[in-house]
Amino acid sequence: METNATPVPFMLFFRNTGPENYQHLSPEERQQVVTRWNDWFEGLVAQGKAIEGQPLEMETRIVSGPGGARVTDGPFPEAKEAIAGYVTLMVSGVEEATAIAQRHPGMAYGMKIEVRQMTPDCHLGVNTRARGRSKQEVATD
Amino acid sequence: MPAGDPAPPPAQPAGLVEHFFRHETGRLHGALIRLLGVHNITLAEDVAQEAMLRALRHWSMGGVPANPSAWITRVAMNLAKDALRHQRMAGIKEPDVITHLEITAPSPAVAVEGSQAIRDDALRLLFICCHPSIAPDAQVVLALKVLCGFSTGEIARAFLSSEAAIEKQLTRTKQRIQQAGLAYDIPEGEDLAPRLDGVLAALYLLFNEGYKASAGDRLLREELCEEAVRLASLLLTHPAGRTPRTHALLALMLLTAARFPARLDEHGDLLRLDDQDRSKWNQPLIERGLLQLVEAARGHELSEYHLQAGIAAIHCTAPDAASTDWVRILRHYDELNRLKPSPIVALNRAVAVAKVHGPPAALDAIAAIPDRDRLESHYLLHAVVGELQWRQKNHRAAAESFRRALRLAQVGPEQLYLTRMLERSLGEGGQPQAE
Repeated sequence: METNATPVPFMLFFRNTGPENYQHLSPEERQQVVTRWNDWFEGLVAQGKAIEGQPLEMETRIVSGPGGARVTDGPFPEAKEAIAGYVTLMVSGVEEATAIAQRHPGMAYGMKIEVRQMTPDCHLGVNTRARGRSKQEVATD
Repeated sequence: MPAGDPAPPPAQPAGLVEHFFRHETGRLHGALIRLLGVHNITLAEDVAQEAMLRALRHWSMGGVPANPSAWITRVAMNLAKDALRHQRMAGIKEPDVITHLEITAPSPAVAVEGSQAIRDDALRLLFICCHPSIAPDAQVVLALKVLCGFSTGEIARAFLSSEAAIEKQLTRTKQRIQQAGLAYDIPEGEDLAPRLDGVLAALYLLFNEGYKASAGDRLLREELCEEAVRLASLLLTHPAGRTPRTHALLALMLLTAARFPARLDEHGDLLRLDDQDRSKWNQPLIERGLLQLVEAARGHELSEYHLQAGIAAIHCTAPDAASTDWVRILRHYDELNRLKPSPIVALNRAVAVAKVHGPPAALDAIAAIPDRDRLESHYLLHAVVGELQWRQKNHRAAAESFRRALRLAQVGPEQLYLTRMLERSLGEGGQPQAE
């Protein structure tokens, strides 16, 4: 994969972040892990690499079938595979995005992160690549 | 923590104070039990625990919010509301919960949910934990779990016990509380004094558990002492707990904790008071302790804590071991032995007797301890006797005493110390001869 001079948008999807992953930790261990992942976020924000992000609520509803006739509620047997949250990054390419995901301290507790590049054009009319460019222009000016 | 993670703990995120999860757990329990009732301690614990875990899930993907305490409280109150809906528990009106929710929910107000309200909940919970219907050891374990927010694993490590054993004890204690039907109140009137004595005794025990170097995780044990100091200080913020003996107990804790940094040498071996580097004693803690002792002297009350704190103060204010005022210490022990006689007090008194009147008088004093047989299984008796015999140049008897002490001491610094003493005695001809 080529490395872009211009930052490109990536999305990290968090999976398997369930509360039960942290059940075995003592209060002091919890404090340590929260401290570490806060540093992960703060570092990315400070470098301008994390653009936005949000955990998602656990309640899930899936709509399918013609006319949306089938509506099912979670949790599903494969709940661990459900998307639990996301972060949008502006990075040089998939290598950097992957390296960032690898450094998330949640890895040690079963968390999985899917790394996906976003397409430059959005059908809603927002051009993510343009957003990235303007960011860079600000930085180099 | 995952094994092999070399990263040093980074700086705390803004808003996440030291021991946040521990103390937040205790704070939540205080508020939740007020809401759910004393008989629902376990439910309150489950709710607090779930709120903590949800916080961890959330924060793993978005970082710590500006007011983490408010965030967790809101989640916990919602969970409590759900729990009440599901259980439709008798005697608790949901509107109470909702009112509470409305008071606490509009975020920033929650963390400062009147520091007085938080304090009073903590005190109510302290009086529940130290209720006379619960055995003293069980009181300490319960307080560590529900009030101080320690995990059962941490408690087990501090007490060198198994998690299962601690869990079992906690279950029994909570059953007892349920059966006793306790009110969530700060005692008043004539109930207050005896209940306060129970609380002070439990805090003394908690501190002692941490102070004993005998076993368990040292860092954790010092945290037990910190908790005892925190809770004694908390008692002093409320008129019900603000008594001379509470001040005296806090003085004792501070003056004892002040000597922590000098207790071990560079190899982690235990150092006797005489051998400690007094420049390592924590001077600010000594000053705080002496100040508390002054407060304790207001009024006519003289408790065991006054006397013990007085002894600690004499040690702390002596510029070196040689200038320690052992005559005054002995007077304190005499008084203590009258006020609260116990074999351990008598044994400590014997050490003071040795300093003032010499080893033979001290050995006589030990021989005259009424419940001496209760001490036979305690390593300290044999360690003290061994030391006195050694000073009488009876090295063989000293070696035998240290050997017995060593068999009785648990793991850790005490064993190292005793081994050193034994080797010293053997080196002086205490070697048992092949006959």
